[in-house]
Amino acid sequence: MIKNVTGYFFVLFFVCFSFIAHAQQQRFPKPEFETEYQMPETSSPMPRAPFMEYVDVMVLILVMGVTIWLIFKKRSRKGIFWVAVFALLYFGFYRQGCICAIGAVQNLALGIFNPGYAIPISALAFFVIPLLVTLFAGRIFCASACPLGVIQDILIVKPIKIAPWIQKTLGLFPFIYLGLAVLYAATGTDFIICRYDPFIGIFRMGAEFHMIVLGISFLLMGMFVARPYCRFICPYGAMLNIGSRFSKNHLSITPKECINCKLCKDSCPFDAIDFPTEEKENKPVKSDTRRFLTYAAMIPLLVVLGGWAVSASYKTLSKAHSDVSLANLLIANPEKMSETDNLDIETFMASGRTLEMLMQDATLVQEKFRKGGWWLGGFIGLVIGLTLLNQVIYRRRDIYEANRGNCYSCGRCMEYCPVGKPDHPYHQLDPKNQNL
Amino acid sequence: MNQTDKINQTKRIILIAGIFTALVSLLMMLNYMQIRGSKPLESKALEVLVEKLSAEQGNQELIDEIRQLDLLARKAYFSSLWQIRTGAWLLLIGGIVLVIALRSYYNMQFSIAPPDTDNPGERKSRLLAQRWIGAAGIIVFLLAGLSAFLSADHLQQYEAVQASLNENQPDDGIERIRITSQDADDDIQVIDTAEVTDVEEDLSNEGYGAESTRNTDKKSDEEVIEEKVKEAIPVALTTSLVNQNYNAFRGPWGNAVSNHSNIPTDWDGVTEKNILWKVEIPVHGYNSPIIWGDRLYFSGANATKRVVYCMDRHTGKMIWQQEANNIPGSPATPPKTTEDTGLAAPSLTTDGNSVFALFGTGDIIAFDMDGNRLWARNLGVPKNHYGHSSSLLTWDNKVFVQYDTQDGSKVMALNTSSGNEVWGTSRTSDVSWASPILANVNGQYQLIVLGNPDFSGYNIKTGHELWNVKCMSGEVGVSPAFGGGLAFAANEYATMIAVNPSTGETVWEENYYLPEVSSPVYHDGLLYIGTTFAVIASFEATTGEFVWEFDANDALYSSPVIADGKLFIFDTTGKAYIFNPGREPELIASPELGEPVYSTPAFANGRIYIRGNQHIYCIGTN
Repeated sequence: MIKNVTGYFFVLFFVCFSFIAHAQQQRFPKPEFETEYQMPETSSPMPRAPFMEYVDVMVLILVMGVTIWLIFKKRSRKGIFWVAVFALLYFGFYRQGCICAIGAVQNLALGIFNPGYAIPISALAFFVIPLLVTLFAGRIFCASACPLGVIQDILIVKPIKIAPWIQKTLGLFPFIYLGLAVLYAATGTDFIICRYDPFIGIFRMGAEFHMIVLGISFLLMGMFVARPYCRFICPYGAMLNIGSRFSKNHLSITPKECINCKLCKDSCPFDAIDFPTEEKENKPVKSDTRRFLTYAAMIPLLVVLGGWAVSASYKTLSKAHSDVSLANLLIANPEKMSETDNLDIETFMASGRTLEMLMQDATLVQEKFRKGGWWLGGFIGLVIGLTLLNQVIYRRRDIYEANRGNCYSCGRCMEYCPVGKPDHPYHQLDPKNQNL
Repeated sequence: MNQTDKINQTKRIILIAGIFTALVSLLMMLNYMQIRGSKPLESKALEVLVEKLSAEQGNQELIDEIRQLDLLARKAYFSSLWQIRTGAWLLLIGGIVLVIALRSYYNMQFSIAPPDTDNPGERKSRLLAQRWIGAAGIIVFLLAGLSAFLSADHLQQYEAVQASLNENQPDDGIERIRITSQDADDDIQVIDTAEVTDVEEDLSNEGYGAESTRNTDKKSDEEVIEEKVKEAIPVALTTSLVNQNYNAFRGPWGNAVSNHSNIPTDWDGVTEKNILWKVEIPVHGYNSPIIWGDRLYFSGANATKRVVYCMDRHTGKMIWQQEANNIPGSPATPPKTTEDTGLAAPSLTTDGNSVFALFGTGDIIAFDMDGNRLWARNLGVPKNHYGHSSSLLTWDNKVFVQYDTQDGSKVMALNTSSGNEVWGTSRTSDVSWASPILANVNGQYQLIVLGNPDFSGYNIKTGHELWNVKCMSGEVGVSPAFGGGLAFAANEYATMIAVNPSTGETVWEENYYLPEVSSPVYHDGLLYIGTTFAVIASFEATTGEFVWEFDANDALYSSPVIADGKLFIFDTTGKAYIFNPGREPELIASPELGEPVYSTPAFANGRIYIRGNQHIYCIGTN
């Protein structure tokens, strides 16, 4: 009963947040007295001191360093949890989700493709440091330093198992999102990762209504489907997933030799534990070899097909760019040029640019999208091809172990392992049951 | 406390935190609903009182009552906002307690259950995954491909829409009041130069396009038709007409050389000796007056209005004044400018058919010679920490605008008849305050423009940059000069430079004396400058070698002008220095105006027109 009641409380609590945020968008008009009263000058808050950016980087390094120590030396899930709470408060509520490693990939893309944009050192550090750490110790950033991950993590209530085929299929989306984010940043269109960050409104206690609803939806969903954003959307997570597969060290469920007690089998809310392979699956199967060869041969075809299809959709993709959308709007509806209640049109008219100039700029943007579409489509084709290929490669496993790519190094599984814990309930079990 | 007690206590905390959270949520929702629908300033009572006040203006009791009501409404609104903000914090605290209690509850309930033996077949699962991954790939590619065919791209229709726009002339940000055959450049009838040289020196009404034949009281049908034809056909601007008038900042081509004669050298503003008339300027501005025929044009602006003035230059009588208002894209609140620049620093220009004015708001406007508005548009509010000050120049049916702002720099040519951009060339320069000049280089006109760091020449037909020397720095407010086949530029804390505009090669560079506001002038092999620290100096134009210097009384903001073979320059106190140009500083006279002068004088035969800080003066001999 209590589970039901708390569930309703949660819903009510988060729905309310949306109202608060929306209410804060209201602004009260200034008084309109025609008297000698002088309106006070609008004052702007002082910008944050530049050295604080380096403080952020130091905090990131510190949080990840402590987490590594807690995973590899102390094997303490509790410790990881509290470090994560600190990171949530600092990077989430205090820094209000900015600066963020997830969005930094866009700064990097813009910096590479636009020579006029200088990427801030702190943004570069936030992008590079978690990646480097991942190569040495797994997804430490996801474990405790990412406020987006942590806020979902602490709200996990009763996680359900997601079928592997769903996970693998939805696992394509972070790569597609990553490619799109890079394309939009490189063309100077938008930072879509930041724009559609569902949790930023919660950290800032105010955002557009639909974004608050989206954030709440993710949190509510996350009570049952653990870390939905991290698993099926996060573009930076996609990069860390790849990096973690090649990590030098990684969290291990058991501190010593695995006794195959199977207790950790259901411990991971993210379904990131690989089971020992069955004997029959260790034997080579002809159909698998045939499939492997087929998929390998298909990869170049998928790259070209993807490149062509996405490049051909440049008109749709480029409409997110303000110049293209405005040019489309004004060319389709020339009468709108005199509309004074449309802010975009008003800004355009005030800029002194002509329709011809807008049209030229829009055409240039479309051309960038056409070319960029080949790269994006090719990348998507490659990801699909490699994911398919990965499905027919079997690796022999004799123990339960964390999947290096999918594991967020949260340390939950470590708690389940009875090895080295004499007072673990497992040791009180009947020895017959121990052989399950 | 045993485990069961702990669990029970946690349950109670969950319940209390949950009820608290739910209650706060409910109250906040109610508050939100209330505030969302609340429009306190639109209250009926307030409207009634305001209406009443408009009938009884000055009724203090009523004003106080309105204020009280307004204050109450505001208090109520902001109290609601405070409640929502406070509620949000309470909700957050309640939420945190609830989450902690829930986690504790589940942790206490935690027990490691023996695992089941059901282990799903990995091969089967992988086969399913392959199918779905393949399906997802097909869906993604199909969606992309479909969008290529289904997405509407109106950019392809641009040509057709543009043609239709040109045909129907809708409001595209350019206000067209009167459409004449001027709209097509090809239709402009070029009057033979020989004809215009016959125009009387005193520049009576004849020969000035649309102005002509207007003063006839009664006209026959033929005359009316003839007048309409004359109205429809603009007079092309010729070298002769430019030289006969003073149609821009620093006169013909902006080069500070006037061809007029009998210019007075003796006057006194205090005793009004040789002051033919003196008129108070209605709205302040720093632009310099320009002349066409019998008329003098200038502008003024303040926070509420921007006005163009036309005066009878013989009498000082205001012929017309027109506000530059209701311009699409014009900012509701003018940009901030400093006191010493304001919103009316750019000088006007005219081609004898229209008068063009630019303001610090980015508004550019054209009137015909009778003050009828022809077109107006906003070029984009210039981001400039002092205020935009670059003056306009016209030639070849184009109005040239140097638009160097903090948001980007550009030089552009607008069609004199429509305001449409004929060409626009982006520049790499920083914000600047200098004005462009025109130079006839080997028979071709170049627009010479100075900014930071670019000193450049542009083809006036196409806008292509012909040469560029990156030589300037700091805040560039000094306009270039041209003479002896060389283009000159100078700026305080930077350099003085001579460039061959045929090749773009630097001929010499010097920094002995440098101007800051006043622009240089070339005459007979010498270059003259006036500095803000009150030095008038002369240099060899071909080598840059220093020739002479003269100490003025005060800073020189006004630019030197060569008129009637003499060099005229005003200091900021209003004292003029008149020299016989040459290799010795031969001061002819130094009359006082008695009023600060920051602008540059305009010249006509026997007349000097100078804008003081408060008045505009006509100097001449009675």
